Amino acid sequence: MDLSQYTELFRAETRDHLTTLNRLLLEWEQHPDQAEALPGIFRAVHTMKGMAATMGYARVADLAHRAETLLDLLRTGGRAVTEEELELLFRTADGLEALVEATATGREAEIDVTPILAQLDAASTQREPPEQPGRAQRRISFVAAPVGTGRKVAVHLRADCLLKGARALIVLRRVEALGTVHGVEPAPTALASDGFDGRFSFRIDTQASGDQIEEEIRAAGDVETVRLDALEEGVPHEEEREAGRTRHIRVDLRRLDALMNVIGELVAARGRLEHLTVARRDPELADGVGVISSLTRQLQSEILQARMTPVWQVFDRFPRVVRDLSRQLGKQVQFRVEGKEIELDRAILDEIGDPLIHMLRNAVDHGIETPEVRVAAGKPAAGQVTLAALRDRETVVIIVSDDGRGIDRAKILAEAKRRGVVDEHAPEIADDQLLRVLGRSGFSTAGRVSEVSGRGVGVDVILTRMRELGGSVEIRSVPGEGSTFTLRLPPTLAIVRALLARVGGERYALPLTHVAETVELDEAHVTHFEGKQALLLRDAVLPLVHLREVLGVGGAPPTRRPVVVLQLGDRRTGLVIDRMEGQQEIVVKAFAPPRGTLPIFSGATVLGDGEPVLILDAGGLV
Amino acid sequence: MSHTVLVCDDAIFMRTMISDILGGAGYEIVGEAETGVQAIEQYKHLKPDLVTMDIVMPDLGGIEAVREIVKFDPAARILMCSAMGQQALVVEAIQAGARDFVVKPFQPSRVLEAVQRVLG
Repeated sequence: MDLSQYTELFRAETRDHLTTLNRLLLEWEQHPDQAEALPGIFRAVHTMKGMAATMGYARVADLAHRAETLLDLLRTGGRAVTEEELELLFRTADGLEALVEATATGREAEIDVTPILAQLDAASTQREPPEQPGRAQRRISFVAAPVGTGRKVAVHLRADCLLKGARALIVLRRVEALGTVHGVEPAPTALASDGFDGRFSFRIDTQASGDQIEEEIRAAGDVETVRLDALEEGVPHEEEREAGRTRHIRVDLRRLDALMNVIGELVAARGRLEHLTVARRDPELADGVGVISSLTRQLQSEILQARMTPVWQVFDRFPRVVRDLSRQLGKQVQFRVEGKEIELDRAILDEIGDPLIHMLRNAVDHGIETPEVRVAAGKPAAGQVTLAALRDRETVVIIVSDDGRGIDRAKILAEAKRRGVVDEHAPEIADDQLLRVLGRSGFSTAGRVSEVSGRGVGVDVILTRMRELGGSVEIRSVPGEGSTFTLRLPPTLAIVRALLARVGGERYALPLTHVAETVELDEAHVTHFEGKQALLLRDAVLPLVHLREVLGVGGAPPTRRPVVVLQLGDRRTGLVIDRMEGQQEIVVKAFAPPRGTLPIFSGATVLGDGEPVLILDAGGLV
Repeated sequence: MSHTVLVCDDAIFMRTMISDILGGAGYEIVGEAETGVQAIEQYKHLKPDLVTMDIVMPDLGGIEAVREIVKFDPAARILMCSAMGQQALVVEAIQAGARDFVVKPFQPSRVLEAVQRVLG
């Protein structure tokens, strides 16, 4: 059979198991004396082994198998897991990940895991109990569960299983090969009745391990869940957890992307149709178009919903990154993650992973001080790094903060002056200037280039990525108290509501994500503030930006002009335009600006009337 | 080497279909039987790795055939071919020694899964 069609599924599922594995290993590391995480770890490794073997990935299966051997000894052995063993398991997880990716993409030869294999074997040998007899037995036996009382096993057959009673009987026949089965409920005679719903339980006296029992039961076919006695009660079984919840299927993201593109076109076509209908003034046509509009909207909302993914899918790998990094640098870091359940469009989520890792690295490497420095400064030895996601109106906010030393403004100021980014007489550097300076390509928050974050990626990369996603970045930094990076993102990428702004002969789309309000430009309230034009709006000073000037549009502006108030966090700017031409849902198209294009555009779109327009980036204007 | 299979069913259509499904998956169909008596004779003669057994067959039914075959060879691997509503009969067949069952109408994937379970 051609297995290549299953490669992607294998990779996706393995990634999930690796994430689980890393999460549980971290939990275990927190409480090495408790082995609550162990059954889950074992299952993840065991499942990967089985899948890899099915795919014919012998080396992956072998690595998983040897890890499984060590894990089995760890759960039967009396001593708590050691730091070295945990470290080895972490590296095994890394090895599995690298090997899976390489194997699935035909680059298996590039990865060498022999050192890990050797270390796993050595660790297993050390764990071997000293008394040799009966060793093989102990290896496969699952702790405790005193022989004689029997382990209770509950089985749930799949809902679509045919002749459930007969299937249950096959399950029982199979486990009888492992030991003595008794206490079957419901009674075997009742199993064959039509009322039997596929749930039954029994006790078994056996030397076989829990996994062997489960394997044997599942081999009978049509088994939904298997639950083994109190030993694992603390850890609800994957499938068991799923039961009662919504059912999920895995879909290739490219399908959702393709669907999204089609719907994007549909939304654009709908806009065009609505536009034409208004001109026709035909009530019947308007009715029909109305129905299509409403259906398209529903379709759009469904597909957007289907693309929403909780941020933990990306956040879950960060604790591991922070842990490894802080160890490497000899720092103590308490890492907190908040708002894991907040949802973002999958495409956005995929894009923010790297910038976030970069920011976390920065926080640990440049933000958090060494324990000695912290204690000397009167701070706790362990630094705090927090990653939080939250919903704020129409945006998703992601915050990375640390309680470290803060950004060295003097150094940044000096560098900025040297490069001529700021005036050489500037006395200090404000938060919003900080962003502008750091955002310059090649500028790094580090005075030195460290192994950790000195990879030539700086704040500019984060800024660029955020702009592409229609989001924005803010930095707050207080010397000695730490830094906070705030990212604001639209929850979905492809379709946004935008305001249409006309300037001269052109129209521009301005996504509502960052539009706070619109007011009329009242010349009587225009003043000057720090050498710039500003508008007094309800006792606040609003700096003004004339889009005409920015774009270099000649001619006289109309006398009555609106001001669009853009808001990015605490910063507000009034964008003066010629005229507003309503709102529209626009389909954002990726945009590769020609060289020399002003950095104020984030993309392009086609309006309902068929005219292509550029999308203004609020972050570039404020 | 591929596994050998003996297909027992009184309907040619069913035998053809089972043979196609299994033959297409690389199993070797070494014999066919139309009755329970034939099934027992063929089994003793061919010693196949797997038997697919219809429950209802002329002269001697599938369940009796299972009993006789298992008496002759306790390691015999027999897959029952049943229909909905035959639960009691399938249970009887399993108690008699059949290893697994499939339910008509057959889905090739389900049949192959069951065969793999029995041979695994």
